[in-house]
Amino acid sequence: VHTQNHGLEYDGCNFFRQRLVLSTLSGKRVRIKNIRSKEDDPGLRDFEASFIRLLDKVTNGSRIEINQTGTVLFYQPGLLYGGAVEHDCNPQRSIGYYLEALLMLAPFMKTALKATLRGVTNDPIDPTVDLLKTTALPLMKKFGIDGAGFDLKVVKRGMAPGGGGEVLVTCPVRRTIKPVQLRDPGKIKRIRGVAYSVRVSPQMANRIVDSARSVLNQFLPDIYIYTDHMKGANSGKSPGFGLTLVAETLNGCFLSAEMSSTPQGQGDPVLPEDLGRNCAKLLLEEIYRGGCVDSSNQSLALLLMTLGQQDVSKVLLGPLSPYTIEFLRHIRDFFQIMFKIEVQKPLEDERKGGDKVLMTCVGVGYSNINKTLK
Amino acid sequence: MDGKVKKQQKRHQQKHSGPKAEKKKLKKQEGSNEEDERKRNPKAFAVQSAVRMAKTFHRAQDIKAKKHHIPLVDRTPLEPPPVVIVVVGPPKVGKSTLIRCLIKNFTRQKLGDICGPVTIVSGKKRRLTFIECNNDINTMIDLAKVADLVLMLIDASFGFEMETFEFLNICQVHGFPRIMGVLTHLDAFKNNKTQRKTKKNLKHRFWTEVYQGAKLFYLSGMVYGEYQTQEVKNLGRFISVMKFRPLVWQTSHPYVLADRMEDLTDPEKVRTDPKCDRTVSLYGYLRGTYLKNKGQVHIPGVGDFQVSDVNCLPDPCPLPDVQKKRGLNEKERLLYAPMAGVGGVVYDKDAVYIDLPASHVKQQEEEVRPTTELVQSLIDTHATLDAKMAASKVSLFSGSATLDSTDEEGLHEQRVWDPKIQRERRKVVFTEEKEDDDNSGSSDEDDDSEEVEESGGEEEQEVDENPDEDALSTFLKEARSQCNEKERGGAPPVKKQKLEEEIAEVPVFADSDDELEKSEEEEEEEDTGRAGDSGHCSEEEEEEDEEDSDEESGEESEGKDDEAAESEEEEEEEEEEMEEDGEYDITVFSISFGFFFSGIYIFTLSTGALCWKEGLQQKASEAFLRQQQAAPNLRKMVYGSVVAADDSEEEEEEELGGLFRVSRPQKSKKTQANALDCSHFKADLSHNWDLEEMLNSIRDCFVTGKWEEGQDAATLLKEDEELYGDFEDLETGQVHKSHSGRQDEETQVKVEDEEVQKNKRLEKKRRLKERFDSEYDDGEATYFDDLKEEMQKQAELNRAEFEDMDDETRVQYEGYRPGMYVRIEVPSVPCEFVSNFDPHYPVILGGLGSSEGNVGYLQMRLKKHRWHDRILKTRDPLILSLGWRRFQTIPLYHIEDHNGRHRLLKYTPQHMHCGASIWGPITPQGTGFLAVQSVTGTKTNFRIAATGVVLDLDKSVTIVKKLKLVGYPYKIFKNTCFIKGMFNTVLEVAKFEGASIRTVSGVRGQIKKALSTPAGAYRATFEDRLLMSDIVFLRSWYPVVVPQLYNPVTSLLLPVGQKDSWAGMRTVGQLKHDLGIRNKPNTDSLYKPVVRTQRRFNPLHIPKELQKALPFKSKPKQQQSRGKTPRDLQRPGVIREPHERKVIALLQALSTINNYKKKKAHTVQHSKHKEFLQQKTKQEEAKSKRQKELRKKLYRAMDQKDQKRSRSSLKGED
Repeated sequence: VHTQNHGLEYDGCNFFRQRLVLSTLSGKRVRIKNIRSKEDDPGLRDFEASFIRLLDKVTNGSRIEINQTGTVLFYQPGLLYGGAVEHDCNPQRSIGYYLEALLMLAPFMKTALKATLRGVTNDPIDPTVDLLKTTALPLMKKFGIDGAGFDLKVVKRGMAPGGGGEVLVTCPVRRTIKPVQLRDPGKIKRIRGVAYSVRVSPQMANRIVDSARSVLNQFLPDIYIYTDHMKGANSGKSPGFGLTLVAETLNGCFLSAEMSSTPQGQGDPVLPEDLGRNCAKLLLEEIYRGGCVDSSNQSLALLLMTLGQQDVSKVLLGPLSPYTIEFLRHIRDFFQIMFKIEVQKPLEDERKGGDKVLMTCVGVGYSNINKTLK
Repeated sequence: MDGKVKKQQKRHQQKHSGPKAEKKKLKKQEGSNEEDERKRNPKAFAVQSAVRMAKTFHRAQDIKAKKHHIPLVDRTPLEPPPVVIVVVGPPKVGKSTLIRCLIKNFTRQKLGDICGPVTIVSGKKRRLTFIECNNDINTMIDLAKVADLVLMLIDASFGFEMETFEFLNICQVHGFPRIMGVLTHLDAFKNNKTQRKTKKNLKHRFWTEVYQGAKLFYLSGMVYGEYQTQEVKNLGRFISVMKFRPLVWQTSHPYVLADRMEDLTDPEKVRTDPKCDRTVSLYGYLRGTYLKNKGQVHIPGVGDFQVSDVNCLPDPCPLPDVQKKRGLNEKERLLYAPMAGVGGVVYDKDAVYIDLPASHVKQQEEEVRPTTELVQSLIDTHATLDAKMAASKVSLFSGSATLDSTDEEGLHEQRVWDPKIQRERRKVVFTEEKEDDDNSGSSDEDDDSEEVEESGGEEEQEVDENPDEDALSTFLKEARSQCNEKERGGAPPVKKQKLEEEIAEVPVFADSDDELEKSEEEEEEEDTGRAGDSGHCSEEEEEEDEEDSDEESGEESEGKDDEAAESEEEEEEEEEEMEEDGEYDITVFSISFGFFFSGIYIFTLSTGALCWKEGLQQKASEAFLRQQQAAPNLRKMVYGSVVAADDSEEEEEEELGGLFRVSRPQKSKKTQANALDCSHFKADLSHNWDLEEMLNSIRDCFVTGKWEEGQDAATLLKEDEELYGDFEDLETGQVHKSHSGRQDEETQVKVEDEEVQKNKRLEKKRRLKERFDSEYDDGEATYFDDLKEEMQKQAELNRAEFEDMDDETRVQYEGYRPGMYVRIEVPSVPCEFVSNFDPHYPVILGGLGSSEGNVGYLQMRLKKHRWHDRILKTRDPLILSLGWRRFQTIPLYHIEDHNGRHRLLKYTPQHMHCGASIWGPITPQGTGFLAVQSVTGTKTNFRIAATGVVLDLDKSVTIVKKLKLVGYPYKIFKNTCFIKGMFNTVLEVAKFEGASIRTVSGVRGQIKKALSTPAGAYRATFEDRLLMSDIVFLRSWYPVVVPQLYNPVTSLLLPVGQKDSWAGMRTVGQLKHDLGIRNKPNTDSLYKPVVRTQRRFNPLHIPKELQKALPFKSKPKQQQSRGKTPRDLQRPGVIREPHERKVIALLQALSTINNYKKKKAHTVQHSKHKEFLQQKTKQEEAKSKRQKELRKKLYRAMDQKDQKRSRSSLKGED
């Protein structure tokens, strides 16, 4: 990290989204150098370019400069504009890649966001749209981002590598974000899930459900896994199937796990039974990690804590993922906010999984400067 | 007197009988009855009208609801910064006198020149900062933004002056602080009555401006050039009990009203280039909200800066310690005014002047004495800078290199790492202390390393001055900044003072995790210093080694908690497993801090260290403590070192190696800088979820698992049973008995621990009460109450969260708290700020929000101030005060049309709001601003030109101005026309195809298609036939670009005495006026005398035929009017003969007589005739009367006859 006059400088393309999102929110310009400069195929990839284009669509007056090889990116953020946005996401990454960043920006727009994203809805790399729908949205609701216009709808499902899915995201705007105290996740009261399958036999979903239930039934009777088989125009371009599991606690926290079949033509095919069982185990792992926020949404929760009022927010997390750790560093770079990190070790006789981390911070007192005052 | 026995007074005896007693009795009895007036006189309280009742109720509720404000989280700090009291008023009204009097009142000290802010302790819980506001509009604007209380001085003998109103209006825009009026010069009134009247008038006018009932203070007269003591005392009391409202801007931004300024620039650099940018440190109490290090600040009058460092210093003017007594003692009445030269020390921009005679409080003197010596010694050494520079070139990492100069006196001092403040402290070595020191290796090693550091990193050290070094007062710092080399020479007396404290503190540090908290840079420095002998192994290793080999000793030394030790051991086991995996490179002399990564603790072992045997007990306790705080490790993993601020330099030093090497994020980042950007957290493969034991580890996460004590359903049920006991089922008649009684017996038999029982009972009671409360209290709680309670809770949490943390760590999380005395270092400040520094002008550091440092387009609502006598012109530069800033910009005024179009206005409307778009600093919506046309002098009678509020920040501005394109028809076919002159090319026409056009006379039409020749001509159709003389025009809207002028008013950079003469861009009008340019007017527009030619009409010609046909009346009269008869045709007058004349005269006389006679006769005749007529009428009347009578008689007779007849006929029939 190198602090320039008014701007920040970074190396490499990793954590690309974080940097651009935080830059947009903080108004600090950012320069990213050495993007894959040593590789055979240097510069920005298509999906990153697509992400920049999406950012350009939701902002107004931002300046983006990329050098000829694409190894240096300069970004001067404009104002978040929002409104109706349509974007064809590059199928190299799934919509989740774009959506994660978009959800971070959505509450701070000038007008309520209504984005239609097209591309790959489910792939094994990024969090799928189903996962974000079931975990990120309830999490954001805890921060006061709520209301009728807050929704994520999977219109069409498109598996990797072909894509062809479509997602509709609507999010209202907020002027300020509430501080939260999420210290106790509570006990898990039910497990829900979606087993989806497109362009394969509808039986696949049922097979997934059965195997997943077999694992989870050891803990809880209240398990319901929906099967979602999309046909025809809504089924995208590639075949595939997968499972998203969500455990809901008494205090309204959501922990989730997911697994998708390997994309067509890449790697060994998986059996639906294996997939169901492995996914259930992933959920158990997630439960073992615990916390009030699941591992893929840690950064979202931390961001919203940062952007809260100048009050103390607390969130109990599971172990920090490398992505989150980097995010924390970035937050410090952009907002000069440090989190108080306390490890909570489980008691002797407690059987509640591994160590937890209690994150505490004082918000920056961010207010949405994009929203118009009438 | 004393000797006399005082005579006992006779006691009053109450009457028990008699009329008085009766009366009293009656009164008593009645009293109880009268109590309830409603009962006694119910009619008076009866509902007269339901409607009125509803109305009054409604009104009462309205008033109640109006009092509600949106509840805010109370963020006032526990120890608030001093209250800023700004004393405002026109010149010569007595501002300085008032401040002087107030200071004297509170502190019993006399101040000469009031220069810069003066901070005093006014009470047990309140400090005040007085600052005088001169009448420069810049100062007024700046101080209005930071004021908590405004003392508005008004010369009563003169009345209100414009400055007062200007300041009030400035306050109104930037959040209204408390305002208290003070009337002075009241002794100028000779007449008591006029004085009273003036007071009243002024009061009411003041009330209309501030609010009804605003406090206006009267300072009646002067005694020996001061206000009357009693009145000043009263004013002081008012000030010290006053409550302040939180203002939006102030509570959401940190700010510092600097009371001290220092130039930190290298003197050599200044010498070589006197105009070089300076590094300046500003001191003051932090107010508003938390200030983050490295944030952006704006200094009004100078510009925007990035803060390079913030330190919190010991409070120079602290509140007294907690105590019972009511007042303050003399020692606690502190006064702090560095700019005003109180306490004998004057801080100038580049020197410290010390007034040695003790004229101030003793306590302060004591503090000053040692440092004054120091400072004096320092001042002399100014010239040896070069030598110092040369000396400092001793290589930093040579390890063995020591400095001779430090050796001499360095014997007395030692650098001690203080984990609390993350700093090295310099302390004097005692023999006893050395024993304590063994935890941090041998002391001489330390000395070595420390000295190396000293020589190398002096510049840094100086910057990161230890804020906890209380004894090294601010004076010392001042001195250090100037010449830190010689510091050691003068230091010893100070050191000794400090000594006792540090000794006391040492044991506390001994078992704290000092090494861990240390900043990385310093660690590495230390490493290099110790690399040679490596006598000091990290605690991490120590801990491990020690545990491996010598467990008993470790445990025995801990002796506190077994659990912790166990957990430690567990972890170690884990570590060992990891080691077996061989995933980690074990580096000699390097450790990685136990960090928490994907749920595993990773420790890298070091093998080289062998000095672990020293101070095992200490180490063990340290280890234990550190174990307790796994968090710092995790924190370290995330954020790097605690003082990770300047880690950029670190990267180069990595090769140096050494004892410590943290698994640095930088390093790891380099390897994965171009890795896949993915938020997925890969599952830990070591967990096998097929194993029962794994499954068991999360059993309790589910509702099916075991519940906690207080939540378990079974225990809750049992509790209920115990609480409510027996109950009878009424339907079945079955009686349920509680078995608590039996249980009780059993417990008694068992004689369980009573404490536990008691606690349980209490807990139960509490829970029951809670349940009861929630059931019955919440019914009345409104939404508002709930909200308030929520805010209250949040406020408590905010207070409690970081309460027990030491300041250095706390600052990392929260930022610097308001109320702290901070030193802010600002780099690259223009040299004029220092060279033209004038302490009479306030220096404010206003913190900026996250994106407030950027510049962009702003849309605002603006209204010309009703007292400003001219309207404002679009594109005339205007100076705005917005947020912290004052800047010149070029606004475009516009107004929104009904269809949402923003139409450009040439001038602001007279009495209406309009929109204004500017290019300026991004400021949150809802922020108020004010505009002045010029900050120079007081030429205009009311300087505030306009006020308004920011509405929107939008990069795409859509202001349009009307543009009419004009064309002329050159060919007309019926309704189609060819029009030229409107466009120049075919392309232009193509763009406007289909556009509607209009002629002056109102005929509408449409552009159809371009014509090839002439260029720019087109075909258009109209609703009617055009004339060649018609003009066709096209109404269009042309977008206007907002000019990008953002010119901060740099008034503080101007030379002393000219600070109020900032002149930015001039308006066109001013320019023309200044240069004497007058536009040549269009000659067509000039007025000329109107010359009208006489109108001539041709004669009307009527054809002969027509003439003939006309009737005579209408025929043209051929005959000319006769006119005058010519002289020759005129008849001459007749001249009579005398005789003839006589005859005629006689005739005339005769005829006159005759006429007279005739006339007389005629009158006589006339009167006679009149008489006759009268008589005649009389006769007539009489006659008619007679006739009437007769007729009456006759008719009556006839009637009677008729009646008779009819009666008879009727009878006859019967």
